[in-house]
Amino acid sequence: MVGVPDLNVRKEKEPVPSMSDKQIIIASLRRVERRIRADRLLTELTLGATFFLAIPLLLKLWDLVEPLRGVTIGIIGGIWVLLFGAFAVWRIAQKGTLEEAAASADTRANLSDELKTAFWFIHNPRRSEWVDAQIRRAAGNARNLNLESLYPRQIPRTFYIAAGMIVLFVSLNFVPLPWNHNWLTLQAAPAFALTDKEEAILKQTEELLRKAEKLKKSELAAQVEDIVEQLKEGKIDAQQAAQMLDQLQSQLEEGNLDTASINEGLEEMAKDLQQSDQLEPTANAMEGKQLNLAADELRKLAEKLGLNKPEASKEMQKSLQQAAENSRPGLEELAKLLKEAAENLKNEQQQLAQESLDGAAQELENIQQRLDNQQLKNMASQQIQNLKDSLQQRQQAGQKGAKGQQQASGKGQNAQGQKPEAGQPPDGESQSAESGTDGEPTDQAGQQGQPGAMMPGGSEGTGLMPGGKGGSDAPREGAPTSLQVQLQQEKVQGMQDGGEKPENLEESSKQERSRLDYRNVKSDLSPAQKDLLNQDRIPWEYRPLIKDYFQAIRPTPQKQDKQ
Amino acid sequence: MSSAIDQQVATFQEQFKRVKDEVSKVIVGYSEIIDGVIMSLLASGHVLLEGVPGLGKTKLVSTLSDVMHLKFSRIQFTPDLMPADITGTNVVQEDALGEKFLEFQPGPIFSNIVLADEVNRATPKTQSALLEAMEERSVTVGKTSHKLDSPFFVLATQNPLEMEGTYPLPEAQLDRFFMKLKVDYPTVGDLHTILNRTTKAKEPQVDRVLGQGEVLAMRKTVRAVPIARPVQDYAIRATLATHPKPPHAHALTMKYVRYGSSPRGSQALVIGGKIRALLNNRLHVSCEDIRAVAYGALRHRVLLNFEGEAERIDTDTIIKEILENTPESN
Repeated sequence: MVGVPDLNVRKEKEPVPSMSDKQIIIASLRRVERRIRADRLLTELTLGATFFLAIPLLLKLWDLVEPLRGVTIGIIGGIWVLLFGAFAVWRIAQKGTLEEAAASADTRANLSDELKTAFWFIHNPRRSEWVDAQIRRAAGNARNLNLESLYPRQIPRTFYIAAGMIVLFVSLNFVPLPWNHNWLTLQAAPAFALTDKEEAILKQTEELLRKAEKLKKSELAAQVEDIVEQLKEGKIDAQQAAQMLDQLQSQLEEGNLDTASINEGLEEMAKDLQQSDQLEPTANAMEGKQLNLAADELRKLAEKLGLNKPEASKEMQKSLQQAAENSRPGLEELAKLLKEAAENLKNEQQQLAQESLDGAAQELENIQQRLDNQQLKNMASQQIQNLKDSLQQRQQAGQKGAKGQQQASGKGQNAQGQKPEAGQPPDGESQSAESGTDGEPTDQAGQQGQPGAMMPGGSEGTGLMPGGKGGSDAPREGAPTSLQVQLQQEKVQGMQDGGEKPENLEESSKQERSRLDYRNVKSDLSPAQKDLLNQDRIPWEYRPLIKDYFQAIRPTPQKQDKQ
Repeated sequence: MSSAIDQQVATFQEQFKRVKDEVSKVIVGYSEIIDGVIMSLLASGHVLLEGVPGLGKTKLVSTLSDVMHLKFSRIQFTPDLMPADITGTNVVQEDALGEKFLEFQPGPIFSNIVLADEVNRATPKTQSALLEAMEERSVTVGKTSHKLDSPFFVLATQNPLEMEGTYPLPEAQLDRFFMKLKVDYPTVGDLHTILNRTTKAKEPQVDRVLGQGEVLAMRKTVRAVPIARPVQDYAIRATLATHPKPPHAHALTMKYVRYGSSPRGSQALVIGGKIRALLNNRLHVSCEDIRAVAYGALRHRVLLNFEGEAERIDTDTIIKEILENTPESN
């Protein structure tokens, strides 16, 4: 206990000589009662605060282990404030009596019940000289009471304990841990916390969806955001969120282009156009899926149309005519314009032919734009799929079981310096998805004509997708397959735990299905090489033999020239 | 007015001190015993001194009588002592004409200070004669009651050992003693002083310092001291706590006490407290005063049950627990 000087001595309440003996005693006892009450309140309130502060402190410590939701904190905090307030009001409302003050002052000042006796005789008057003399003596002693020495101001130890607990509580709120929430700034754990990987996926999805403005699908970004917000606030659970994302994905996939067919058609057109020397640059660009370049080439050609020789025009007219015959869904307009151009050339109507070629160039650009948009949609769809997969797996794994699985797999997020949260999936897929973000999730991949970048664990991706590694040619140690997860999901009815519902079986199979048209996956491998790779296993002793075989049959430069 | 009371208190203290100082010239140590004896005298009570032989109990009483201008008599209680030996009796006398008549010959009890030495050796009948006189302050012989002089102060002694052939005082008679004081063996230092004083050619002499009127005035002063209800309430609760019945009884009381103090115990606490307050220059009684006189006033009024007797529980232990556990405020 540490004594502190009292700066609030109420001099006006001290007994003055003009008072009667009884008034002096009463005034002194009131001063004593106030001082006792103040000291008592300080002690009791700090003691109460110490006990009460233990609750939020323990809660905060709990929050560091198992983050608490805002609702939980709010309810407990509200009850805490009410209880502490009630305690404080209860203690403040309790006042001591003057008789108790007299007894206390007698004890402190060694007055041997003098004030207590005098106070009793004041309230129970008696005609006695001895009583009057006793009151007179008591008044003299009461006037000389020195409250500062009898009741020195002391700060109880509980005050320091309470202050220390407050400091600790505030400090705990500012502990720089990723999973720590600062209650002082009204932060708390959401009902469902997304992992960093999921947050990254969500961000990329929204970016992709916003880029698809031309498809009038930009509101999907807001919808995704809304779903995640609802999930965080606890309005929906992970399973419901996954279903809503599934619906969103279906909306996104409405009106998908048959990009494979378009690409194939463009290749065929390019082959036809290559027969004309004038159209060869355009054809090469088309073959290389550089439709904007092809459009530019076509415009240049249109500008120089009048300078062509008749033979060249005829050759060009022939190539255009053949190319126009390769009409396919999505290329009808291009084919029509090419046909018009061919006919105009045939009719030697250069102006109209020029306009037709310009129109074809414009259509090529449109096709390029549609393809780009389709790619964006595919990428966004894949990201939604990843997010949905992650949520579903966390839902299935459960909050408690996830930690154990994560420890068992040894591939949890702890390795990344992050605290595993409840419900976090212990899968390796999500990890590979995260590593896929090392690449640039932008138009670049699409512009380079590498749709394979979208594939999970794709061998030729250049970023964004799970397993992509920034375009590195090195063989990838792919992330663990989800085979185990798939097996868990595809439980049949009648199993001991009831199995999954049939619709869930379908959902699980959907999870493993690529959203990208398989024909969009470009491969430089020859069919024979593909067949070889598709074999389940090549015995080790046969590998040199197979290698020698392929080296032997590899076409030499001379053979190539002959061909 | 206040100065008159202050003067009265100062006189009381001074006279008390003079008596004590004179007694202390002969009696070595035993300050509390001397205080208790004088307090009992001033409280209009009687004292039972208990102690082994040779501790100066009789010397204390005789010295007290020497310092006061009071009539003193000593009665050695023996089994063959008769009540008339104490109270006195009617004796046939013959006047000058040869007429015979009965004349009352007062016994030794007709004194201001009576020493009843070894009071437990007399028969209950004889004890009753003394104890009746102690309470009534009068003696009835035949059909005539004879008032005793005031102050009338009996100091009885008894030996806690050698219980064979004794008649322990019954509870009702014990209750009539204002205080029971235990005389313990003196300390080594006190023994040296005793030897130095009593083995020389000249023994210390005391002066008479207090007369009958002064004693009565001091008694009046004691009664005038006011006591507030809270303090009196404390004395009552302490007295009630000696009874083995709730709500005031404590653990030891309930276990070892058969019967607690009578209202005389409360009277003794208050009056003793008043004397102590005056001696401490106070005009009021405090709870501390009550506690200070509680042992002497209550120890002979707490009657132990069989279990307490069997376990040789000291009543002082019970009183101590009562004082420790009885709150000053109700």
